[in-house]
Amino acid sequence: MTTVNVNVHHLTRVEGHGNIVVDVKNGELLKCQLEIVEAPRFFEAMLRGRPYHEASHITSRICGICATGHATASLRATETALGVEVSEQTELLRKLLFHGEMIDSHVLHVYMLVAPDFLGVGSVLPLATSHPEVVHRALRIKKLSGDLCAMISGRHTHPIAMTVGGFTHLPTTKELLDMRERLVAAREDMDETLALLKQLPWPEFERETEYVSLQKEDEYAFIDGRVATSDGFVYEIPDYRRVTNEYLVPHSTAKHTKHNRESYMVGALARFNNNYDLLHPRAKAAAEELGMQPLVTNSFLNSAAQAVEMVHCVEDSIRLIDELVDRGIHEQPRYEFEGRGGEGVGSCDVPRGILFHNYVIDDEGKIQEANCIIPTGQNYANMEADMRALVPQILDRPQEEITHMMEMLIRAYDPCISCSTHFLDVEFV
Amino acid sequence: MVAQGESGAQDRHPAALGVLTPAPVSHSPAMVVGVGNPLRGDDGVGVAVVENLARLALPEDVQIVDGGTLGLGLVNLIEGVRRVLLVDAADLGREPGEHMCWRLAEARLPGEDGHLSVHSAGVRDALLLAQALDCLPEDVVIVGVQPANLEWNTGLSPRVQAALPQITQAILAELGLGAQ
Repeated sequence: MTTVNVNVHHLTRVEGHGNIVVDVKNGELLKCQLEIVEAPRFFEAMLRGRPYHEASHITSRICGICATGHATASLRATETALGVEVSEQTELLRKLLFHGEMIDSHVLHVYMLVAPDFLGVGSVLPLATSHPEVVHRALRIKKLSGDLCAMISGRHTHPIAMTVGGFTHLPTTKELLDMRERLVAAREDMDETLALLKQLPWPEFERETEYVSLQKEDEYAFIDGRVATSDGFVYEIPDYRRVTNEYLVPHSTAKHTKHNRESYMVGALARFNNNYDLLHPRAKAAAEELGMQPLVTNSFLNSAAQAVEMVHCVEDSIRLIDELVDRGIHEQPRYEFEGRGGEGVGSCDVPRGILFHNYVIDDEGKIQEANCIIPTGQNYANMEADMRALVPQILDRPQEEITHMMEMLIRAYDPCISCSTHFLDVEFV
Repeated sequence: MVAQGESGAQDRHPAALGVLTPAPVSHSPAMVVGVGNPLRGDDGVGVAVVENLARLALPEDVQIVDGGTLGLGLVNLIEGVRRVLLVDAADLGREPGEHMCWRLAEARLPGEDGHLSVHSAGVRDALLLAQALDCLPEDVVIVGVQPANLEWNTGLSPRVQAALPQITQAILAELGLGAQ
């Protein structure tokens, strides 16, 4: 009978600290857990007492990859709490900025995390030597998306120009048109990305779960809308707790969530499954090329769904630029606080999935309470459910391979367990 | 790309720091990048330093960048730049707030090669990748500052905060601007 003991401490290439523990004795799965050692984030403590207009700047520092996502969700929470209406121009610019971050994050994950796994190299570093053209392409796409973000938000990471009610800095028509040209040229890199992904040996694994994402009637939703699940439930954003239902588990310091089933999944695959019809035709063609049609129930394909979304974001960015240029870019009045607070929930579907910020702001404009539910937290229970389903299917394989498969499975979720410090260790030579 | 004071940042006016606006003496073009997460205590020291520098009247060919936690985006940022100064919290085995400047070749940045994480990718990972792709700037100077506290918390610890003027001066000297 099989006895397997997998114990991966500090899961590599996953942000923060995650440990995989699998214990199988005599063919029986005794333990299968994802232990999360997440430092409490003190969101509430960091925001409490701060003026409303600082919240998006503070929360954008939570994560270097999802800086715009956090800032946007934060602004939407603040704007809802204060009853601020934003202009169409602001909405268009925010969508364009969001696409930039989506491409930026997805290209990192697909090229720097997933591709090395499949190509049998330990990380992107040996990949830079063995397949430099692949890494150069990744960085080229990353530069494009970073420049797109900087054009709108004022800098590459941690958007500074995006504020409550609008922007403090606006791109010029020329900047928009130059960016359009680069986006059109990036189609070639998108094709190459699909060609690369097509040849990767995606593991066979099926487990249907509930997929949760934002949803809109007229567009592939990333900002605002309603919360929809593949089991047919739809909620207004302020009712987000009816979906997230956070609960504690003994083996993890991070809360888990569940809705209609034992767990649910958020992220690119969830969006793909729930909103496929609203993808750009080129993105649909990309999905077809990768053999994907909803409902896709292989969690490993979350990374493939990210590639499909990259195509969508490139195409939709071109459309958004056309619309912005047609309308003309106009300076707009700044929002001024009117002395009345309130409560608001903002939600965005960031690269890793649906994100909620919830603030209570007092009549002096100070934040009294804050809550933030990140996508990765919502995926923990689903990761474990996937692990429990996958282990029995691969028990006959060598332990090393089982370990590798488990790591790949968790990495497919592109988890961001805790945005860590960039503390340098140094040894002088 | 030039860092701007963002709302919520503490007031670090140069006058309060005892830093005079430096006169360009003989400097070469350079990019100063402050990296780290201001939500993690002293990990934000690099960002605090570039916020100070951004308030000074520096020559146009000295770029000041708040890199935050840009991770591997650093590779794109420094590609094609000849001279880069990176300011970051670093474990130097010294007292909190003490800093050291060294050239990349003078130190090893230990860590597990091949276990690079994208989300937590920091200076070390980005530099290794730039090296592997042969696009490392000719001159990379690292300004490491010993932190006292890296917990989730905004604001620098008093000793690191107090060291900001000295660190700023050291960078100006390194840039050939108003060296003390």
